[in-house]
Amino acid sequence: MRIPLERKVLNENDRIAAGLRERFRERGVFCLNLISSPGSGKTSLLERTLEGFDKSRRVAVLTGDIQTDNDARRLARFGFPVRQITTGGACHLDARMVERALADIPDEYRILFLENVGNLVCPTSYDLGEDARAVVLSVTEGEDKPLKYPATFHHADLMVLNKIDLLPYVPFQMELAREYARRVQPDIEIVDVSCTTGEGLDRWRAWLEARL
Amino acid sequence: MSIAASVLDAVRAETALRPGARAVRAGLRIGELSGVEPDSLRFCLEALVSGSDLEPLAFDIELRPWKRRCLVCRAEFRVLEFNPACAVCGSSSTEAAGGDEMEFAYLEMEEP
Repeated sequence: MRIPLERKVLNENDRIAAGLRERFRERGVFCLNLISSPGSGKTSLLERTLEGFDKSRRVAVLTGDIQTDNDARRLARFGFPVRQITTGGACHLDARMVERALADIPDEYRILFLENVGNLVCPTSYDLGEDARAVVLSVTEGEDKPLKYPATFHHADLMVLNKIDLLPYVPFQMELAREYARRVQPDIEIVDVSCTTGEGLDRWRAWLEARL
Repeated sequence: MSIAASVLDAVRAETALRPGARAVRAGLRIGELSGVEPDSLRFCLEALVSGSDLEPLAFDIELRPWKRRCLVCRAEFRVLEFNPACAVCGSSSTEAAGGDEMEFAYLEMEEP
């Protein structure tokens, strides 16, 4: 006997994510899911972003790692609520982890950053209720990452090309990286930044402010 | 691995609804853009089933192609060589039309 099921494999995750998205919508929260390989600069980008925010901004951050709360420590010094999600082995955040961590943060934030676990594969499949996804790619990686990990770039609204201060020392071809990203996702927006020198961060902030 | 575990949770939930029945085959659809590698998924599913109450559950994994739809000529086409332009008329105005599926299609059960 064959029973037709016709449902998503991650429908439990998707159900929780839909609940989060509804909550964010009702409260006027903009939620961004940040995805990249380990070491591309997600935490650095958040440091520079929080550093630039007026203290009156209602911002919160959840940061995911397999182990340690090092990233939460780095981010907490700017005075905004930050919670570490330690996944204990899981290589991605899921909607239930986000829901649990949010229970621990006052319901006042209007911008929520979700820093995913450093991984260009698994986070792609898990909806966290976010309004937008940004992929960070640094110039010390290969410019063909969008082709090697098409699913991740296909589901992204923004690609942040980070560490552009290192361009004189690496063979990374910016134009090729942009072309590859647009082949996988023709509508993707792209900003070039250096979290070290601050170059381009105004464009990243403009992208963000336009969504609030 | 957690995706494979979600599949098996769903199999157990369906089986629990039909006392005495046993799941023998689960049908899945995995898209090229789902972020899931079908061979790895099969490996994880088989590893989890082996030695468990679900043995000998088999899996039928259907691969779904990466597709886009042309906004000019409305043709749906498969994306080859990462080329998002319309395969019929060449237009670059196209939209996503499939390939991110990660779906549970069916479950085959044997009743006593």
